[in-house]
Amino acid sequence: MTSKLNYLIGVSLKRKIKTKWFIIVNLLLAVAIIGIVNMDNIINYFGGDFNKKQVIYVIDNTNKSFELFSEQLEITEKGFSQSEDSSYELKLYDKDIESARKLIEKEKKPWVIVFDDDPNTTIAVTLISEGYIDAIDYQLISSSINNTKVGLAIETSNLPIDEVINLYSSISIEREYLDEEKLSDEENMETIMSTMFPIVILPFFLLVIFLVQMIGAEVNDEKSTRGMEIIISNVSPNTHFFAKIVAGNLFILLQGSLLLLFGGLGFLIRKLIGSKGFFQGFEQNYLSLIKKVLANGISNQLIYIIPLTLILMIFTFLSYSLLAGILSSMTTNTEDFQQLQSPLMLVLLLGYYLSIFASFFKGSIFIKIFSFVPLISAILSPSLLILGQIGLKEILLSIILNFGFNWLLIKYGLKVYKVGILNYSSKGLWKKMFKALKD
Amino acid sequence: MLKVSNISKSYGHILAVDNLSFIVKPGEIFGLLGVNGAGKTTTFRVIMGLLDAEQGEVTLDGKKIDYSVTDQIGFLTEERSLLTKLTVIEQCLFYGTLKGMTKEQIISRMDLLLERFQITEYRERKIKELSKGNQQKVQFLTAIINEPKLLILDEPFAGLDPINVELFKKEITEMAKQGSMIIFSTHRMEHVELFCEKIVVLVKGKTVLEGYLKDIKTKYRQKNILIKGNLIEEDIKKIDGVLEIVKRIDDFEIKIKDEKVVQKVFDKLKNIKGITKFIVEEPSLNEIFLTKVGETYDQ
Repeated sequence: MTSKLNYLIGVSLKRKIKTKWFIIVNLLLAVAIIGIVNMDNIINYFGGDFNKKQVIYVIDNTNKSFELFSEQLEITEKGFSQSEDSSYELKLYDKDIESARKLIEKEKKPWVIVFDDDPNTTIAVTLISEGYIDAIDYQLISSSINNTKVGLAIETSNLPIDEVINLYSSISIEREYLDEEKLSDEENMETIMSTMFPIVILPFFLLVIFLVQMIGAEVNDEKSTRGMEIIISNVSPNTHFFAKIVAGNLFILLQGSLLLLFGGLGFLIRKLIGSKGFFQGFEQNYLSLIKKVLANGISNQLIYIIPLTLILMIFTFLSYSLLAGILSSMTTNTEDFQQLQSPLMLVLLLGYYLSIFASFFKGSIFIKIFSFVPLISAILSPSLLILGQIGLKEILLSIILNFGFNWLLIKYGLKVYKVGILNYSSKGLWKKMFKALKD
Repeated sequence: MLKVSNISKSYGHILAVDNLSFIVKPGEIFGLLGVNGAGKTTTFRVIMGLLDAEQGEVTLDGKKIDYSVTDQIGFLTEERSLLTKLTVIEQCLFYGTLKGMTKEQIISRMDLLLERFQITEYRERKIKELSKGNQQKVQFLTAIINEPKLLILDEPFAGLDPINVELFKKEITEMAKQGSMIIFSTHRMEHVELFCEKIVVLVKGKTVLEGYLKDIKTKYRQKNILIKGNLIEEDIKKIDGVLEIVKRIDDFEIKIKDEKVVQKVFDKLKNIKGITKFIVEEPSLNEIFLTKVGETYDQ
């Protein structure tokens, strides 16, 4: 029977892989993923100005603001983006404001900042642009102008040079947590979580959908053609069931590896073409943050977070595949299965949204409870763990609960499967299934 | 030897098979007959272990049928049980491997059968691209690929033209000669008469007739007389024991109560000129079937 199990797994895998559609879909996925990773380059290729710096003309009627403003803008921008490269190009403009207005009307893109003396507020500033200015740009410029104003005010106050240096030096904030388990690294991780986690979890989401639909379609194909009768007259329903589960999970492991490969290829291509663009800031921000966090000791946590997450994911893949197998055995055609799998997809979606909301609703009991629920825990528990809202014990409990859930699915699901796969009528379906459970 | 002993199976309140028993010996071709819903397919599913009987037992050579002996059984279902997206060779490899055969054994046997069934050119074609008749051939081919000791055929002639029925019949007869036990169901009595030795007739899951075909026909007292010529129907009808006169295109079929009536009819006709045919026939299985099934339905 073992050789028949292996054979069925092989046949099931071949049916999924040795098709032109598997190749076509993966080619499309490769193109899509590589394209997404290099989207800025593609957009640039068709015309764009993501690499161009924002030109700011400065009319310095005070004759002392331009240099200080340049310095302040550089410092503020560096503090914000952690990047060495500036997004702005400052040019001193020696004509009057009217000429500047005409220049903007002509060139559209540049902005103009006019510094004037003001006896009450040290300086008065006018910012001119063709249209709206991005909120972040506005905040950076506004902050730099304020710092410039303070700098000019300090200069005129005749303070000793040491005091001026002290005033300009950046402040080191000492964080203190009353909860001893809290680490400053975790505070940083929240930023990573809110942005990075949805990206990481998306392939998991995609693979679960693949898994459920693959198993459902295959079982229904064998049922609707009545090939199931011949198969079950030669191998036990248990063997058939496990062949589908193992083949389905092997397939998504392969598909998952391919998705990673496509992502890797995307980044390799990105590196080879020496890309610079709007992703660069994103990459640098998070890479530097991750580096900082790792340097501060979060790597110790990752040593168990990664394997535990993997175990939970594998158990969850198993849960979804077991449920897909059981549900598909109960249905008589693919259309019915599509409907029956909808609640399963909603559960998955719930987990996805809860994992996103986890960083917004810190300490939510509701979310914590759901982090133990099988089918959801693989998405939710690791995110709560990273956010420091649950500990190692809780994630281990999630794993145990998931294991127990799978055991129950196998124990009772097999009874349903045995009856379901040879049932071709939806009449009295639930009665038959409950009867199967009791037997 | 296949031994089915007192099996019963019900679906809810409906008794599909009621205390059914029969034996099929090596080399025998056994017919399980009945109208639609008589319990034939349920019986096969119980034999194959696809359904659990509520009572009774099924054994093959004294051993309960389970997955340790299914490699020796061939099964053709009433509805097409082919995975239509596969090619003929893939289908054979799939079902053959499930029967515990090696790839080489399957290919060798498949090529032989494809040639015998005159469908060699479809070897690499997908099942869904084949005609209904050719799909039936492939299904039959996969059922016998393992040269089964026990071959179960549920309505094997469905969708086949007379030439292909003959092909199937030849193969089934050959397998019986080799010692296989063959059990098949049909509601087409002419197919049973072609080559069946032993039958069971089911009505609503109950056995209403069973035994060797020749014995059943002998025991069945009604006979038919075929007469060609100018006979006066009214005179014949008056004879005691004449049940019915059926006027056919070029002759008359007179159904009589038993063999004793033959002489009475002959006496009535012997002086009439122009009688060119007088043949006494056994009733067809179809007639026996209709009578027996009709009686049971009436009850």
